[in-house]
Amino acid sequence: MNNINDLKSLELTVGDVFSKNARLKARNVNVFYGNNKAIDNVTIDIGSKEVISFIGPSGCGKSTFLRCFNRMNDTIDSCVVQGEITIDDENIYDKKIDVVPLRARIGMVFQKPNPFPKSIYDNVAYGPRIHGLSENKEHLDVIVEESLKRAGLWQEVSDRLQSPGTGLSGGQQQRLCIARAIAVSPEVILMDEPCSALDPIATAKIEDLIHELGNDYSIVIVTHSMQQAARVSKRTAYFHLGKLIEVGKTKEIFTRPQHHQTEAYISGKIG
Amino acid sequence: MNNKIITPLEASNKVKKSIAKRRAKDNRLKLYGRVAISLAVCFLLILFYSIFSKGYSGFFQYYVTLDINFDRERIDPKGDLSDNSLFDGEASKIVNESLFSIIQPQGRKAKKQAKKIVSSGKDVRIAKMVKNDPSLFGTTTKVKFALDDDIDSFLRGYIKRETPESERRISNKIIEYIDKLNEEGRISYEFSDYILSGSASGNPEMAGIKGAFIGSMLTLSVCLLIAFPLGVATAIYLEEVAKKNKITEFIEVNINNLAAVPSVVFGIMGLAIFISIFGMPRSIPLVGGMVLALMTLPTIIISSRAAIRAVPPSVRDAAYGIGASKLQVIFHHVIPLAMPGMLTGTIIGMAQALGETAPLLMIGMVAFIVDVPNSIVDPGTVLPVQIFMWADFAERMFIQKTSAAIIVLLGFLISMNALAVYLRKKLERRW
Repeated sequence: MNNINDLKSLELTVGDVFSKNARLKARNVNVFYGNNKAIDNVTIDIGSKEVISFIGPSGCGKSTFLRCFNRMNDTIDSCVVQGEITIDDENIYDKKIDVVPLRARIGMVFQKPNPFPKSIYDNVAYGPRIHGLSENKEHLDVIVEESLKRAGLWQEVSDRLQSPGTGLSGGQQQRLCIARAIAVSPEVILMDEPCSALDPIATAKIEDLIHELGNDYSIVIVTHSMQQAARVSKRTAYFHLGKLIEVGKTKEIFTRPQHHQTEAYISGKIG
Repeated sequence: MNNKIITPLEASNKVKKSIAKRRAKDNRLKLYGRVAISLAVCFLLILFYSIFSKGYSGFFQYYVTLDINFDRERIDPKGDLSDNSLFDGEASKIVNESLFSIIQPQGRKAKKQAKKIVSSGKDVRIAKMVKNDPSLFGTTTKVKFALDDDIDSFLRGYIKRETPESERRISNKIIEYIDKLNEEGRISYEFSDYILSGSASGNPEMAGIKGAFIGSMLTLSVCLLIAFPLGVATAIYLEEVAKKNKITEFIEVNINNLAAVPSVVFGIMGLAIFISIFGMPRSIPLVGGMVLALMTLPTIIISSRAAIRAVPPSVRDAAYGIGASKLQVIFHHVIPLAMPGMLTGTIIGMAQALGETAPLLMIGMVAFIVDVPNSIVDPGTVLPVQIFMWADFAERMFIQKTSAAIIVLLGFLISMNALAVYLRKKLERRW
């Protein structure tokens, strides 16, 4: 673990970037948009069944970094990722790796609720269908029901599964997107500011949900709200201008930040 | 004074002052818009009014009713109802005899003139009747025959009685005969059974648009079958698959340029490639359709690309995020959402192709073809070319036929556009 590269990044990052039962490991990751360096030498572990939040001011690269984990940055032509990211010690940027099964293992929930313009049922069933996860129609029904239940949406929509997913309220749509993500039984769920477009009540529901899902999945959540980070996550990572400044237990980050920039952000001086 | 910040009171006064000006500007803009729209509607109405008011008479023509004795011996000498036998029969003679019995022409010259009153398609009509219903044999039945085009024009008042005989296309004798027929109530003005079911003909009273209509349908089907898949596939490739680089940029610029190339150029290209190099026959809907497909491709590609670009990226992200492959994203999400736009573009392209004459002239679809094409490799013509040809003919009656054909073409176009609107509405309803 303590090779020279790790030490180099440790010079930058305060706190404990490593995790004992790490599932995802990022080592010296750099991301470029053309000539613009968006992520600068970030090293971090994400543990198994751990909820970790990425915080930091706008434009600090936390979303960009998040999208490295399931290679969503591939869809942007000018984006180049250097360094190594592994899931269960398998390099996801290896040429042999196919992004399709990778994205089935690492699900994603986006900032704006983006259900497909299809029925609620088809939204959730889409992933299992394209990956061939269900043996028959009954099995698919079970997967859809179970996913919706886990996303806390079943009670609200069980009687109208065939109505359009886009007809739900914003909070319901976001939970539908979470149900869609967990329907393919991923190992990790990436959430990119999942509550930024929602009202406080819907936000509270999603937060409860993240709390519960944290028992089964590794969850990485990018958020602008420090309160939210404090409420849902065990660990917190603070990013600033593409650098990972500090990682630590959420409680400690918010009560005793070690780095002066973290402290400045937490106390509202920057951001 | 310039450096002073204005007080809220001053500010609100200034705003009030400027508001009147802004309102006036808004209203003027509204007015211009309304004037422009009402002008457009006005011209459209005038256009439609003039076309329909002048053209509808093209669907009607004058008929004469004659008593025909269906004598099997004379009409069908061999008795087997074959085309040969009917051709050898004396159907025309029977019609003439029936006509002469009414108008009583005296002398060879008068008889010769009188024969021309009834359209030369009389024997074909009798042959058709007995083929459809052999039980007519042995009876005497009233049959309607089209009148010759000059007589038709005379009855419509285009050829005037007052004109001196030497300058008139029909003689005094003929007018006398027609008056006689009229007195007996044998002349009627009815919906033409030639205009919709007849084909090209040198006799205007028998000319119809069926051949051109079928030719148009065949040509358009070929055009659609080639241009739609090719155009949509190109658009998808350029938008979703191809990397943005110099080559794709070059292709893009050229597609946009192609959309502005005069259509006759496509015709020359079709002549050079399909006919000269590949040796395909002239005048066939297959070649016509291929030429029109080349012409409509840019339209379809451009509108399909716009439709694909309008698919929200969030839907793509969602699909990629769940592990859909590129092909799945394209076929499950992008195409269904872009389909209304693609269809609209395609139908606009088809409507353009339907009205196109110039490129088809180049590949010989302007030929005079009497037979209705049965397949895409039978020689044929299309509606706009038929209109173009009829407009060129000297006979007075072709003017009405041309107008009628224009109405049919317009109806075709309007129903295609209606279909586009319907499809868009219907597909969009799938959220």
